[in-house]
Amino acid sequence: MQQRITWPRRAFAAAGALVTAALLSSQPALAHHGWGGYLEKTTDISGTVESPVSLAGPHATMKIRAGDGQVWDVVLAPPARTERAGLKEGMIPLGAQVTVHGNRHRDPKRLEIKTSRLTWNGQTFNVYPDRS
Amino acid sequence: MAWLEGSALGHAMRHSGPWTYAIVNLAHILGVSSLFGAVVILDLRLLGVWKRIPLAPLTDAASAVAIIGFAVAATSGLGLIATKATEYIGNPFLYVKFPAIAAGVTNAVALRFTSAWRARAIRELSEDERRRLAWTGAASLVCWLTAVAAGRLIAYW
Repeated sequence: MQQRITWPRRAFAAAGALVTAALLSSQPALAHHGWGGYLEKTTDISGTVESPVSLAGPHATMKIRAGDGQVWDVVLAPPARTERAGLKEGMIPLGAQVTVHGNRHRDPKRLEIKTSRLTWNGQTFNVYPDRS
Repeated sequence: MAWLEGSALGHAMRHSGPWTYAIVNLAHILGVSSLFGAVVILDLRLLGVWKRIPLAPLTDAASAVAIIGFAVAATSGLGLIATKATEYIGNPFLYVKFPAIAAGVTNAVALRFTSAWRARAIRELSEDERRRLAWTGAASLVCWLTAVAAGRLIAYW
């Protein structure tokens, strides 16, 4: 009886040590995955709205067609945060000219930009105001 | 996938306010954590850990929590994937996660038909029966660990 009790205790101590070690060694990797997969440097892309703002899913999204004809996936903030920044569904019509500012996906073949600011019709929607 | 995205469920997920996905996501996490937590206890007991706790009452409680957790996770998960189903096409983690779930469920159903499981409240199990339970527990741990890990990694592809 007495000896059995030591097994879980030792297991918990080992698990605790492992978790602590993992936390200490991988601090940067724990950053929110919303930015981890994107380049550090920022990019601006201007284009026309191909698919309007959608406040559904883990992040609000839209698609824009750039001047060179390429269609970009624009990933905004989580829906509630995007809406608090003033950007609502149905606000920006299809074909409207917009500029997005943010960070490109690390995979150069993937036309995806994690967007911190969107400008349309003289208005700027700062969905991540703490980012440059 | 296109059919799922176009379904009434997909439509409801997309058009019922900015908090819908977050709340369904919360339900999914509660379901998965209940399922996985219960499965770990169940499987470790099948593997021979905590032998002083009688097999029958422990496995009854753990499997009940696991089944409810699974139902909550599966229902909410269907809603999550239906939101933008076509975006998951080509996500390799999806093709790891669902076979792992299928294997985990098959393993759990098969366990219920074994002589060891049915006799566990009635009599002492033979050495052979205990070994079979241990193998089932090990297989279950592998399946559900794989399913949870692949499931979490879907978001990072």
